[in-house]
Amino acid sequence: MTNGTPEASELFENLKLELRRGCLTLAVLTQLRTERYGYTLRKALADDGLEIDEGTLYPLLRRLESQGLLVSQWREEDKRNKRFYRLSAEGKRILQQLLSEWQRINQSLNKILQEA
Amino acid sequence: MSTPKNPLELVDRYLQAVRFWLPKTRRQEDLLAELGEDLRSQIEDKENELGRALDKDEISEILKRCGAPMVVASRLGPKRHLIGPTLYPIYEFVLKMVVLWIMVPAMLFIVGLVNLANSHGDWGKAIAMTLGSLWSGAFVAAGVITLVFAILERTHAIADIACKWDPNALPPLEKTERKTSFFQASCELTFHVFGLVWLLLLPHHPFLVLGPASSFLTAGPIWSQFYAPIVLLAVAVIIRAVVILLRPQWGAFPLWSQLVQALLTLTIIRYMMNAAGGAGQPGWHPFVALVAGARSAEDVVHLTRLVAVINVSILLALVCTWIGVCIGAAVHSWQLLTYIRKRRISQEPASLQA
Repeated sequence: MTNGTPEASELFENLKLELRRGCLTLAVLTQLRTERYGYTLRKALADDGLEIDEGTLYPLLRRLESQGLLVSQWREEDKRNKRFYRLSAEGKRILQQLLSEWQRINQSLNKILQEA
Repeated sequence: MSTPKNPLELVDRYLQAVRFWLPKTRRQEDLLAELGEDLRSQIEDKENELGRALDKDEISEILKRCGAPMVVASRLGPKRHLIGPTLYPIYEFVLKMVVLWIMVPAMLFIVGLVNLANSHGDWGKAIAMTLGSLWSGAFVAAGVITLVFAILERTHAIADIACKWDPNALPPLEKTERKTSFFQASCELTFHVFGLVWLLLLPHHPFLVLGPASSFLTAGPIWSQFYAPIVLLAVAVIIRAVVILLRPQWGAFPLWSQLVQALLTLTIIRYMMNAAGGAGQPGWHPFVALVAGARSAEDVVHLTRLVAVINVSILLALVCTWIGVCIGAAVHSWQLLTYIRKRRISQEPASLQA
């Protein structure tokens, strides 16, 4: 049994990370349907219950941008330079596909959970 | 620790510390600028909430929450590794092969013997010198192998090899259980019984080992000391063969008993070599000696030389046997460990093996 042991807690953390990884990408892409900069994006995600640290978010944004799903631009706002992100045309298309896939997985999982 | 007059200077010091651990590229500078902006936004938000400027401790708290500079840099920076997960199993295999199967035996049986000869029989000095050579040799070998694999990783050379593999070239299935066949066990037992009978007949029939030379040669003094242990070892070997024949299902028995047998043989040979003393000294005839009798002076000189040559040959044969049994013992140990490991894996529940 793994209840309450440090190994169990580490195992849970690892599984949670795996579960979150794909969801975070989906959440970030969805939030960036409207233009945001890093901090406001983090705040929006945290307000919706998905906290993400700086070390995870910024490399993820770079990766999504290099994959052509996001476009970014440095711009001055409130006398400070900020990098604004939004979905690219390709990003919008991929997001639609991902959301459909998410719905399908969610339905399947709900069905499996109801059967269990 | 210096106390900044402007608390916001802490943010710049923090970013400088993160920058230290990041590669100096434009991408990383960009990431750093974004991190700085994020931290300043957090501070600004908090200041708006409190309606006043944050003090040094409150800014420290925000930076602490962000993480230690080295940790943050490791998250922000590119994911780097010397040898990636694809190459790593091959790297580990090659490292084990070279260090355990080539370096260690070569050091023990070649360098070790050379060191023993150079240290004039001082075992402690020889062992220390051999271990020193083994350590430096293994260190260099591991370094070279790591370097080669790091180059392979960078050049993606393994990707070409991985694409060209052929399923038909896969090795055949291994036998899961090691069992000695009835035929093999019977042959071994017969051979060992003949060996024991031969050994028991030797004291009264030296012709069986010396042939025609038994008319002028006789057993040396060493055999009176070691004959009984050798006979006892031969009896133990027969008992082992009988057990293997009667209990073939005892998979581990042939392996560990073979190892014990090798260790006993090594002990006896070692004591025999010690008891034989220094070769070449006048009157040195530990293994075979001349039978007393009336001979011409010329015959005595000739036969004495012959006895010396035979004694040295037997001593050399003992040394070679000792080395051979040492290698055998190492192989038996490895086989036993492999067997134990396989048994343990096969007894583990499938969920733990995943």
